[in-house]
Amino acid sequence: MNTLTFKQIDRTVLDTLEPPGRSYWMVVGLVLLGLLGGAACWVYQILTGIGVAGMNNPVHWGTYLINFVFWVGIAHSGTLISAILYLFRAGWRNPIARAAETMTVFAVCTAGLFPFIHLGRVWLVYYMLPFPNQRTLWPNFQSPLMFDVVAISTYLTVSSLFWYTGMLPDLAVIRDRAAGRRKRIFALLSLGWTGEHEQWRHYTRIYLFFAALATPLVISVHSVVSWDFALGVIPGWHTTIFAPYFVAGAIHSGLAMVLTLMIPLRKIFKYEQIITVGVLENVAKTIIFTGLIVAYAYATEFFIAWYSHNQVELEVFRWRALGDYRVGFWIMVSCNTLAPLLFFIKRIRTHIVWLFGISILVNIGMWFERFVIIITSVGHDFIPHAWGLYYPTLVEFGIMLGSFCLFFFLYLLFVKHLPSVSMTEMKETLEEDTAHEP
Amino acid sequence: MNRERHLMGLYSDERQAAAAVRSLAQSPFKVLRVHSPIPSHRLAEALQVKKSRVGLFTLIGGVIGFFAGFTLAIFTALRWHLIVGGKPVMALVPFVIVGFEFTILFAVFGNIIGFLFQTDLPRFDLPEHYDARCSGDHFGVLATCEDGQQDQLSRLLTRQGGQVSALDPGGI
Amino acid sequence: MTSANSPFFDAFRRPAGWGFSSLLAVGVVSFLAAAGGRHPHLAWQAYLINFLLWSGIAQGGLLFSALMHVVKARWSGRMAGIAESMAAFFPISFVLFLFLFVGRDHVFPWLHYDLHGKEAWLNVPFLLARDGLGLLILYGVGFVFLYHSLNLRVGMLAPVGKLRTTLHRRWSRAEMDPDAIRSRMTLWAMLYCLSFALVLSLIGYDLVMALDPHWISTLFGAYCFVKPIYIGLGGLIVLASVLYIRYGADTGLTADHFHDVGKLFFGFALVWADFFYAQFVVIWYGNIPEETSYVIARTMTAPWRGLAWTVLLVSFVGPFLILLNKKIKTLPRAMTVLCTAVIAGIWLEHLLLIGPALNHGATRLPLGILDLLITLGFLGMMALAVRFFLNLFPEVVHMPTRDMSP
Repeated sequence: MNTLTFKQIDRTVLDTLEPPGRSYWMVVGLVLLGLLGGAACWVYQILTGIGVAGMNNPVHWGTYLINFVFWVGIAHSGTLISAILYLFRAGWRNPIARAAETMTVFAVCTAGLFPFIHLGRVWLVYYMLPFPNQRTLWPNFQSPLMFDVVAISTYLTVSSLFWYTGMLPDLAVIRDRAAGRRKRIFALLSLGWTGEHEQWRHYTRIYLFFAALATPLVISVHSVVSWDFALGVIPGWHTTIFAPYFVAGAIHSGLAMVLTLMIPLRKIFKYEQIITVGVLENVAKTIIFTGLIVAYAYATEFFIAWYSHNQVELEVFRWRALGDYRVGFWIMVSCNTLAPLLFFIKRIRTHIVWLFGISILVNIGMWFERFVIIITSVGHDFIPHAWGLYYPTLVEFGIMLGSFCLFFFLYLLFVKHLPSVSMTEMKETLEEDTAHEP
Repeated sequence: MNRERHLMGLYSDERQAAAAVRSLAQSPFKVLRVHSPIPSHRLAEALQVKKSRVGLFTLIGGVIGFFAGFTLAIFTALRWHLIVGGKPVMALVPFVIVGFEFTILFAVFGNIIGFLFQTDLPRFDLPEHYDARCSGDHFGVLATCEDGQQDQLSRLLTRQGGQVSALDPGGI
Repeated sequence: MTSANSPFFDAFRRPAGWGFSSLLAVGVVSFLAAAGGRHPHLAWQAYLINFLLWSGIAQGGLLFSALMHVVKARWSGRMAGIAESMAAFFPISFVLFLFLFVGRDHVFPWLHYDLHGKEAWLNVPFLLARDGLGLLILYGVGFVFLYHSLNLRVGMLAPVGKLRTTLHRRWSRAEMDPDAIRSRMTLWAMLYCLSFALVLSLIGYDLVMALDPHWISTLFGAYCFVKPIYIGLGGLIVLASVLYIRYGADTGLTADHFHDVGKLFFGFALVWADFFYAQFVVIWYGNIPEETSYVIARTMTAPWRGLAWTVLLVSFVGPFLILLNKKIKTLPRAMTVLCTAVIAGIWLEHLLLIGPALNHGATRLPLGILDLLITLGFLGMMALAVRFFLNLFPEVVHMPTRDMSP
């Protein structure tokens, strides 16, 4: 392995927290502009009405739902990496666990905005909360939208707590190396962590429980999101495969976003010895696996649509592949299932530019997958004279841009103020490696 | 009454620290605490730590959450007592989802509460006798001895290859 | 180093062989008697259930080894070796599949239905060809993986017996270094995993879902390949536990092995239940009659309702609650009982899926002594196959002194 030491790990990570230069603030400013632009679009929508978006009869769910599912999906692979791979004792997760878990928290935050954006009458959002009120209203917990409320808020809470707990030892490291105001802030944040054996005794146990609880949670959350569609009766939506299909697709898109984030991060922060090409290669291999699952799901849906000999089902799938939105469909298929196959070639999956490029393609493909699923089913269901098309408006594009900017804004702030690599887990990896030597 | 003296042995290697703990266990001196930058199996074994009981908090939280989720869903459904979408008023099949999510949520709350409870965190002042190097790349074994026995203790600690820092120069 | 005279080698030969052969005989006799009797469909029903169940255990067992290899797990070597022994059932499974067509009038009720155009897919020649080809591919790929894996595991050791000597000659002639063997293994393991998903989905659609030819569920295929992983792990735990109880530390197995495979078993209990619920909640909620009739018949109508609850309790709720405890995963006897119960539960689940389609309007469960006897026959076949393999490669169980694998 490489010749890292504890000191070097600390040094490399703590160096990233030094006051940033001008180029950093320029990028943050740019992203903030995009974010404010999106916010302005939203304010315009609140004042004018949801009609400024492109949704109408029959397609009443558009980019707001697409982006919602997209961002929730991205969140999932963060939990895969930090929780599921922890349970499987896959050491290659350690260098990227912190950054991935952060991606989860911010992606869920971004996703959580979209139900509000889509509400139209945002000021009535409290209708969705179960508390005794004089209207004698209670939410209907049989609704998939209420499942979403419960699942997404649980996911946000659990992910944030998991993220924060995982950071505690690292926050103590920063406290011990900082001075003045920063020392006081991190002394507060680290809750007085001193790495005593009594603290570690309990910490390792709860970390294991966090991982063990986050794993079924992550599977349930995207299953719940998929059931927003599958519990309806329209063709292309009402199908039992949605739950595992969406979970696999979510992990697929999230892993691609991990690559998209890690590759510039390791270059700028000089993490090459910590986030090695080997780690990125393992992410790429996992993308092959999730891509194959997604391919299986596409093939199964088409096969069963034919097998069912159901006229409506057959027509929806024919229209998806050959109808007005066929470009989106073929982007989806090629980017999600074909592009990752290139990772079978070792040269490609160890080449930074290819890794980055294919990760962008997969992200695009997964966005289009949600587009194809949502728009084509609703726009082309049972009654031909009710069929219709949908195009997003500028307001929607503005909000979408704003959401991407929000995510990157939060992420940029994070990487300069909190440790983007878990120093503690990296040291654990080092210790384990030396333990295996004779 | 003799005053207690505190000495901390700092080791850059986990195995040395574990060896020091073991030799201290057989000596008349007491190990107060061991600080480490990473969780260590070897140290845990050398210190013979018992298994943590936080899991109990997690389990209780989970059970509470399971019943809370179902209760919330059933209660709100029964308040209206309407048949919606052809589904029964008290529909356990979809309520499983609510129950499941609440189970996980409350189990995590139990996890956190148990952790804070058992470790006595948050603590907003650092304990005495803490060395900042222990969060970096050193393992710190904090031992106590009677006044006058510092040399003996110091020799024991350095024998395993560590540095020693006396932590109370003028008093306790 | 082993020799034909080592006491370990001998231990396999004697009483077990006669016991399993007699089980097989009992099964064959009862099957033939029932198939020729007044209710042949009951015999063929039991045949189909057992064919799917035991083939699934074998396929899932080999998948464990393939999967562990692909993800480069370091803990599982000894367990994987034992898991591979279940692949010995593959040739038997293939013959059983072909023989299934003798009873096609009983196991393919759609032969006499109006299929509204599905005849292009549901006709005996095409079904035999595609499923047979699928199984050939699956088993063939599995055997190639096994060939390379055994090369790595026992290839350097002194051969005994004709088959071993032939293999040993082939392995020595190829003279590949361990890394080359491992990368071959990775390729064939990945192909096996791929074939596993595709072929078992196909078999699930053709042999189980098609019994109700107008009912569909897109997740059914995946559901039908998750079950074999679940029971494959269960079978592995039973086999490993039995061997450990018999041979102790010689097997090279430790408490950690059992703990880890027990955790995997627990995980797949959840996956199986999740895949069941994912289908159930979608169909229940949509309430579309052409989908719900299947589910209502199996979970809400007597006599199948009780069976459905039994399956849920035995194969999910029970294992879930019991396996939350860490210690129990390391007790071989307890795990043997638990995993046997789970496999029995999945047997009942197969009956739950297949039974209503083959016994329309049944008022009592078509479950009786015949099913037990035929199941014992299949158990005998599986046990004989595994025994044959372990006799051929005793080093898989009895750790040779030079073997350093975990």
